[in-house]
Amino acid sequence: MSTFYIPLVFSGTQVIKEIRKWVYRELSEKNRFYDDSILITMKIVLILCFLVKIQLVLCYGNDTFTEELLIKPLFSDQVYAHFQFAVTWDKDPTIKKYHHTHLFPRALGEIIERHNIHELHISLTGGLWRYESWGYPVVDAAPGAEVWAWFKPDTVDIDQNWKLLANTLSGLLCSSFNFIDVSNSISPEFSFRPRGSTDWTTVNSTWLRYASLPREIVCTENLTPFKKLLPCDSKLGLASLLNSGFIHNTKYHSIALHLRPICRTETCESVSLELQLSVSLVYDYAILGTRNWSFKKLFGQGLEGKCPLSSRSNIYVDLSTSDSKKFDLTPTPDEVVTSIRGGFVNKYALYHISPNFLSISGRYEDDNEIFVKKPPSLYANQYLIGYGQERGGIVSKIYNNHWSALEVVLLQSIAWYVPVYLHTLKIVSNGEILKPTILKYIPGKQRERPYYIEMVLNLPPLSETLISVDFDYIFLKWQEYPPDANHGFYIGSAVVSSYLPLAKNFTGLPQDSSTIYSSFNASRSGYLVQVRTENMVITLPTPDFSMPYNVICLTCTVVALAFGPLHNITTKRLILKKKCETTLVQKLKLKFETIRKQLVKSKSD
Amino acid sequence: MGLLTDPRSGQGKLTKLLIRFYKKFCVLLYVGGIFWFCALASPSLNANTYFSENALLPGLVKSMFQEDKAAMRYYEELVDETDKYDNSIPYPWLLAKFSQIGLDAYTHNFTLKSPLNPKEKYVGKNVYGILRAPRASSTEALVLSVPYRPPSSIYPPTLPSIAIALAFAKFAVRGKYWAKDIIFLVTDHEQLGVQAWLEAYYGVTCGNEGTLIHGDLKGRAGAIQAAINLELHSTKIGNIDIKIESLNGQLPNLDLVNLASKICAKEGVYYTFKGKGIKYIRNMYKEWKYYFKNMLSMISTQSTGIPNGNHGLFLRFGIQALTLEGFEQSKNGARVGFLTIGRVIEGIFRSMNNLLERFHQSFFFYLLPSPDRYISIGLYMPAICLIAAALIIKACAKWCQLHETNQKETQQSEAVGTIVGNTVPNINYLGVIILSVTMHLTGAFLTALPELVIPLASNFEVNVSHTVVLCLLGVILSTLFIPFVLGRLRRCSASMDFLCIISLLELGTALICLAMNNFSLGIICGILSVPFALLIRPTTCKYYSAIQKLFWLIVHPATILFIVVLVNTKLMFKQEDAKEVLFRAVDATEQSILYSITDSMIYGNWLYTVVTSIFISNWLCFWCVACSSIPKPVVSSEKKND
Repeated sequence: MSTFYIPLVFSGTQVIKEIRKWVYRELSEKNRFYDDSILITMKIVLILCFLVKIQLVLCYGNDTFTEELLIKPLFSDQVYAHFQFAVTWDKDPTIKKYHHTHLFPRALGEIIERHNIHELHISLTGGLWRYESWGYPVVDAAPGAEVWAWFKPDTVDIDQNWKLLANTLSGLLCSSFNFIDVSNSISPEFSFRPRGSTDWTTVNSTWLRYASLPREIVCTENLTPFKKLLPCDSKLGLASLLNSGFIHNTKYHSIALHLRPICRTETCESVSLELQLSVSLVYDYAILGTRNWSFKKLFGQGLEGKCPLSSRSNIYVDLSTSDSKKFDLTPTPDEVVTSIRGGFVNKYALYHISPNFLSISGRYEDDNEIFVKKPPSLYANQYLIGYGQERGGIVSKIYNNHWSALEVVLLQSIAWYVPVYLHTLKIVSNGEILKPTILKYIPGKQRERPYYIEMVLNLPPLSETLISVDFDYIFLKWQEYPPDANHGFYIGSAVVSSYLPLAKNFTGLPQDSSTIYSSFNASRSGYLVQVRTENMVITLPTPDFSMPYNVICLTCTVVALAFGPLHNITTKRLILKKKCETTLVQKLKLKFETIRKQLVKSKSD
Repeated sequence: MGLLTDPRSGQGKLTKLLIRFYKKFCVLLYVGGIFWFCALASPSLNANTYFSENALLPGLVKSMFQEDKAAMRYYEELVDETDKYDNSIPYPWLLAKFSQIGLDAYTHNFTLKSPLNPKEKYVGKNVYGILRAPRASSTEALVLSVPYRPPSSIYPPTLPSIAIALAFAKFAVRGKYWAKDIIFLVTDHEQLGVQAWLEAYYGVTCGNEGTLIHGDLKGRAGAIQAAINLELHSTKIGNIDIKIESLNGQLPNLDLVNLASKICAKEGVYYTFKGKGIKYIRNMYKEWKYYFKNMLSMISTQSTGIPNGNHGLFLRFGIQALTLEGFEQSKNGARVGFLTIGRVIEGIFRSMNNLLERFHQSFFFYLLPSPDRYISIGLYMPAICLIAAALIIKACAKWCQLHETNQKETQQSEAVGTIVGNTVPNINYLGVIILSVTMHLTGAFLTALPELVIPLASNFEVNVSHTVVLCLLGVILSTLFIPFVLGRLRRCSASMDFLCIISLLELGTALICLAMNNFSLGIICGILSVPFALLIRPTTCKYYSAIQKLFWLIVHPATILFIVVLVNTKLMFKQEDAKEVLFRAVDATEQSILYSITDSMIYGNWLYTVVTSIFISNWLCFWCVACSSIPKPVVSSEKKND
């Protein structure tokens, strides 16, 4: 592809638009005689269109868009629906221009270009993924908002770019990313390595920025701009199911955007840009009112055909729970795929989306069964200990249910207003003290930098590891309290990353692919999970911002003012001084005299 | 030298007036304090309760609860189930129900090493289920706790409340509006279970280390905002009593109390506070009497610092909590069933679910003369302040008087012609301060005594409880003889006056500080001790000395405790003869002392600590003053006439 085509194509598409508009205008006018000239021009236009199409194909021939939906009835009383949209742009990395896009969202292209981004990962999540009972999701996400980005090594001022990027993203997704700045961002060493391909000789974490906004509330206003990033918008294809009235009535909903360069071929001679857009939803049967799910129940409507721009439009239904809790699918799936991955066999019902109307439903035969929960190999919790407003502690609890030792990385980013003390860090595994293999700690600075703790732990088999660190409660400046000061302040979730040796209960995508389909039969040496723990609300010492508080403040001021004179009166003796019996004239004379003396003095000096 | 330090400059008009009239003034202040306190119950001094927190929006949503039949079914099953378990909680059944409903169900084990006998161990098991709210990520939670009582329990049964809690859980899992997780907690062994669960939730130990071993929890749900403890004694409820008095006299936020009463009123449940409902009385005096009785009843419960329900242990952790206790008997025979009770719970929880911030708007310090009226801290504090002011005024007057007499003596001696320096410093400051510190150390020793005695006693295999009480009694009795070994200090009138001043100031300050935390305890202590403390002075009159000693012995905390217990016993066992009652009272006093010790060791109740370390030490200081033996002055006896 040469640079020559791109402007041409750009003008070509514009020409088509203009001509189309013109033709429609012409046709819509009533009683208009179809002139030969018009016909000729139309023909020309058609030919032009055809030519342009060829050019488009030439230029973007390898752009692909796939849309997939995975429905997984969970062992607990929930059903998990995961929408996976992926756009791959075979872009020449030598060309720095990102303005001319085809299926790839242009808004994002501009951001990549402006901020020199190598990788970008965003998630906006409502609710908490319950690893203990739900297993692992396709894409891990922390409650609230989370964003991390790798900048290209040649970026000049990464901090500045990061702040600008956050502000731009806040506009792009209508979220509060604009609250991200240096004071709540960290550069983790181990937890967030580049997900895609790089040609860097070394990976330096100074090019990475990570921040989370645990208080962010995710709703329709984030979903709407998110849907606009898709080639078919929400008009056709699977995205048409993203009906905000339904998908926010879930126990967990998460929208995520993952952008990374990937290898175009196995040998990795050239790279493409890949954008994964995903929506994860967990519906609760109790809230749905029934165990028998259907598209109508989940999304409020059926599916009216696929997105014509997509090269793969599939729906998969995970049948792993079907053995124990039998359910029937209507319509019957096009095929049943068996996937053997990481030593675990799983079956998926596969539907190719046809242009016809499609609504899949699952009906359970027996309604009243409860299963003993079998938690996955690795999961974690986080909570606060202590009461009162003097001292507290943050405890992370990591469970390793695997039969062998697991190497995990724990990342904690703690806001500056929660000063933690490293000397109080205690790691106890099954009652014994565990030494971290590597421990990274950067103390925070008030209003400048958060506390960053990252450690590599070798968890013993079948263990429960407690990592606790103590902190102090501090007062903030009074303007730093939010309007709802008594709500509390948030501490973001910890991230526990590990490569699991077995793919038990694992639905994540392999690192080298972007579709759910490619995760079938994709056995690898390890399966990356990044478990996010709960957020925590901490009650900082809060002044009583109310009327009595104001009264107390005022009284204190008055007392302070009164104290001086009172102290003087009580500790000093008043002595009567003889009144100077001088008249006003004398006084004036005296004053005059002194001034004169001073003048004389200054002159002599 | 200034006014504060110069004794001569204090001889102004005001000081002279003070010295002249301080006795009348003290009496006036004390009587004024009592009068103010009594007047608090008058409707003109207390106000109607109101909601401060707008976010609560009580009763705004339509009640949807309809699971009363399920509750009845749960109740019947539970009754069958309890027969299979003698003394322990039927946890498999509860766990099964919780998971069937769709909650995350967990158990929690705890162990209590008996504080009076470290070798004895008791185990308990709590069961709890967490409803995970769909609208949040487990950052905040509400608690609905129910004590489980086996059929053998001496307390009235609470099985209906477990049934209704389960039914409410069944109803609530369908709600998509929950923004706070709801923890359904069924506790074992009354308050121990709640305390252990809370300690485990927060990873702390509140009492003595190693007494209550709280264990660990598998599931948590973030910061707990509020808790409702439910104790229904019957499936048909005649009235619901709202209980609020908590550990160390803490009270839940008034908004929560209002919320509970408002929702009860909305659902048409007869609700009471201290067994008394809302009453409209025309007669002013009768109205005052009605309110005053209720207020006294609240004061008597609050003053002990012992929670009158399982809610009382939540407050330490910043969780606003109250108990709803349902009784079968009703005034007019009207009773409500599970449907209404379920709707009351639904209403309360939906309101609390609306909260954006913690409970912080309304009062934390108040008295309730009726479920719908309150007395705020601003109104009740003057009562105790007036009473304590009597002490402080007396101290001031004594101080001035002391200097006045000094001055007069100086003047006299000057007139006689002796050297000034020899006669003025007749106050033995060092001696008095050492004496006062010793008394306080004695108090501290009394505080620590049980912990010192218990290991010893258990080593020698003697009855621990008797030993502890006997030791305490022994120490208290032996301290009574401290004044008699003082020697010269005891004979020095000015030093004894100085000690009296210090003690008066201490008592006054202690009363006000105590009343800030636990008004009820403060006002009771104030009313009882202040008149006698005002009487005490070093005197030459033998009869006066004997009388003040006798009075002061009566207000010794141990004597007061015994008198209170005796009166209670007499009232409870009216038909028994005096000897029997006396024996019972002695026994009950011993038990009450032991309970206060164990309470402080398990729950961190500070009643025992406060009484021993502050009140007994202060009492001893005054005792020294009362026991002073001032030699009759030879020269100026008519001048010392005060």
